[in-house]
Amino acid sequence: MAHTTRTQNLAAGTLPSGAGAVPAAASALPAGGLPTTGATGRTGALDSALDRLWGLLTSMKFGLLLILAFAAFGLVGTLLIQMPAGVADDPQARAGWLAEVRPKYGGWTGILDQLQFFTIFQSVWLRAIGALLAASTIACTLHRIPGTWRTMTKPHVNVGPTFFEHAPQHEQMTFHRAPADVLAAAEQVLKRRHYRTVTLDDGTVRIYADRNHWQPWAGIAGHFSIVVILAGAMVGSMWGFRDSQFMLAEGATSAVPTEPGLSIRLNSFKDTYYPDTGAPSDYVSDVVLTRDGQTVAQQQVRVNEPLRYGDVSFYQAFFGPAAVVTVKDAKGATLYSAGVPLAWTSNNGGNKVGTFSLPGQNVAVWVVATTGPDDPSVKPGQVAIELYASDTGNPIVQKSIDQGTPTTIENLTYTFERETKYTGLNVAKDPGTPIVWFGCFLLVVGFMVRLFVPYRRIWGQLASRPDGGSSLSVAAVGRRDSDLDAEFTSLVTDIRQAVTGPARS
Amino acid sequence: MGKLAEYAFVAGTLSTFLALVGYVFYALSGVRAARMAAAGVPMTTGGIGFTSGPRTASIGHYATLLGGLSVFAIAASLVLRTIATGHGPFSNMYEFSIAFAFGILCAYYWFERKYRQRVLGLLALPVALALLAYAATVPASIEPLVPALQNNMLLTVHVATAIVAYGSFTIAFAAALLYLIQPATGRWGLPKPAVLDEIGYRAIVIGFPFLTLTVVLGAVWADTAWGTYWSWDPKETASLVTWLIYGAYLHARVVRGWRGNKAALLLLVGFGATLLTYFGNLFFGGLHSYSGLAGV
Ligand code: HEM
Repeated sequence: MAHTTRTQNLAAGTLPSGAGAVPAAASALPAGGLPTTGATGRTGALDSALDRLWGLLTSMKFGLLLILAFAAFGLVGTLLIQMPAGVADDPQARAGWLAEVRPKYGGWTGILDQLQFFTIFQSVWLRAIGALLAASTIACTLHRIPGTWRTMTKPHVNVGPTFFEHAPQHEQMTFHRAPADVLAAAEQVLKRRHYRTVTLDDGTVRIYADRNHWQPWAGIAGHFSIVVILAGAMVGSMWGFRDSQFMLAEGATSAVPTEPGLSIRLNSFKDTYYPDTGAPSDYVSDVVLTRDGQTVAQQQVRVNEPLRYGDVSFYQAFFGPAAVVTVKDAKGATLYSAGVPLAWTSNNGGNKVGTFSLPGQNVAVWVVATTGPDDPSVKPGQVAIELYASDTGNPIVQKSIDQGTPTTIENLTYTFERETKYTGLNVAKDPGTPIVWFGCFLLVVGFMVRLFVPYRRIWGQLASRPDGGSSLSVAAVGRRDSDLDAEFTSLVTDIRQAVTGPARS
Repeated sequence: MGKLAEYAFVAGTLSTFLALVGYVFYALSGVRAARMAAAGVPMTTGGIGFTSGPRTASIGHYATLLGGLSVFAIAASLVLRTIATGHGPFSNMYEFSIAFAFGILCAYYWFERKYRQRVLGLLALPVALALLAYAATVPASIEPLVPALQNNMLLTVHVATAIVAYGSFTIAFAAALLYLIQPATGRWGLPKPAVLDEIGYRAIVIGFPFLTLTVVLGAVWADTAWGTYWSWDPKETASLVTWLIYGAYLHARVVRGWRGNKAALLLLVGFGATLLTYFGNLFFGGLHSYSGLAGV
């Protein structure tokens, strides 16, 4: 409420110096030292609280601590085993997982879990620090814009005489030539070195020159890009979806979740191995994508070659055996006939198992493959069919059936046709990805330019001397740095030579 | 071709070792010279024999030559190996360790040319040598690429940018360590702290953007191979942590109370994080520890 008042005041222009509380305008002033004298009462208190918050968010020290805090929690996340996705939300899986790591962390297990250290990337800690870091980065970026703009468009030309004595790099030169000649020569040297110069004559000629004056914007772009990347990640998590367990047996067609009308069919899956080492050499899913019955894409999906269609992508993720099973009712009508991916492993015995459900029947069918000749219940050439009630999960019946032999179980006829393969795809739609890539581009280019391209600023002061000659002081600011020193020295040498002529130097 | 690559590797390792011996003598003579100068012994040629000025310089000169030789030998080893395998040095720890050592040597010689502070070699070369020695202990056999790594162009650039970054970080580490062990006025004839501070900063100025590029390329690869540009995999996270620490360092240099010692300390911590990132996949055993497919 009070915030609205503040904005209205501003719009109406009734708050003379309270404008200092507005972020963009405040940035001209040193953070923390903002005048709030114009505002009184509750608004004033709020304003000063906001000012303090702004001062904190734009403080380099605070930003530094936030970055280090984020890094520290990230480090914990790399050193401590993290719960796999999906486990955290399932109390039973969670308890099982914790029991598994307990031998490793002993009595600390419960404490670490309470502190959310096993799910640190989803923890309140990292979220809070991340949010503060994002806020601080935004604040810093905004904070720097007006000053950067002013320095670029209206640089400070008159710096006062003491500057020329205290600047890290400074030099005084006297010449026998008139100030106008010296200025012309100096300007020419600066121009040749790609400096832009601004001069001001108030009896003494004041010179300002800079090179790559747009460079600070690259730093701002670099910081801004972090916000862009975070925004892209948020877009992805809000409007994207991911199915990393999308399985498809050879010959099967399946609708793509959340994409109405889109289906994908697996023509074949092939896994190949290097003959000498047995290491995998290739995983290829030959798939066809159809939209409303029309083929829209066909591709061999490999590990590094996803199929991209619009903003939906299909990645090769895993694969395994499948059993083609046909189910017919008493009248001989086919209820089901497809490859069943045997993507899970049974707890007792380690058999590969898969499941499907029958339309209109309260039954979930599990297909259990053999583990080999030693398997007591499922012989090679067989699969076991296990039926469970879909609603209660209670087992109904279990029976091993021979390949190619129709077998009746609970009024339906099941046939294990043959073995085949399934492919496991990771289906992802992430509308935030282009934003993230744009952010990454800005990040790399922004910081590369900011750190590789030198930004130089030089001030000069040129006065005439009683003897008709002139005296020129030049100074540069910047941390003491050998590159800056070298450039300054050679610039001074060049100006000397340009004024006095190379022959005499 | 693979055999030749190994010969070049051995030659590079040997000359790195010899160069290191040279740098040790160079540094020792520097300490003695500093002590004698402090004791008022005149620093003339001849006279004090082994530690005199020109003699010191010439040991350093030989060390540099030997180091230059190892840069060439290791470059040759990497090129020959690339020809033999048909892909960049990214498929196992052997290849990547040699590449890392190469990055350190290149970074070191770039800085030696620019700043002429040979004492840095005393710290940078052992790191390179340790990596080469480590490479000698891991299997060097040429294995064909598993499917996840079949992205030659992207991964070669990814490794190239990583070694520029890691090489620079090693120099920053060396400079920071020398900075921290001496008082502001200098000691033992070591480079002046102000110079070391500048070298550390310059190294990060180069390394940070390259690490940024490395992480981004890693994300691009993850997006093509795994279908997600970021999954908080331990290796990814460790590289992000490293990136953040060096980002913090760049800020620390302009924050009052953080310049100097604390900033230098961040360089040591950052190098620790770099090593953790590098050796990470040996013990993280992450979600996809580069073995191929998660579900296979
Ligand atoms: C993850 C977050 C951040 C990263 C990776 C980052 C990175 C960088 C880098 C690489 C630089 C050096 C290039 C340059 O001078 O522009 C820099 C400078 C700077 N950063 Fe950040 N930054 C982050 C957050 C922040 C925050 C939160 C603040 C404000 C509190 C901030 C304020 C500044 C300022 C003022 C400079 C200029 C320093 C100078 O004068 O050299 N940054 N940052």
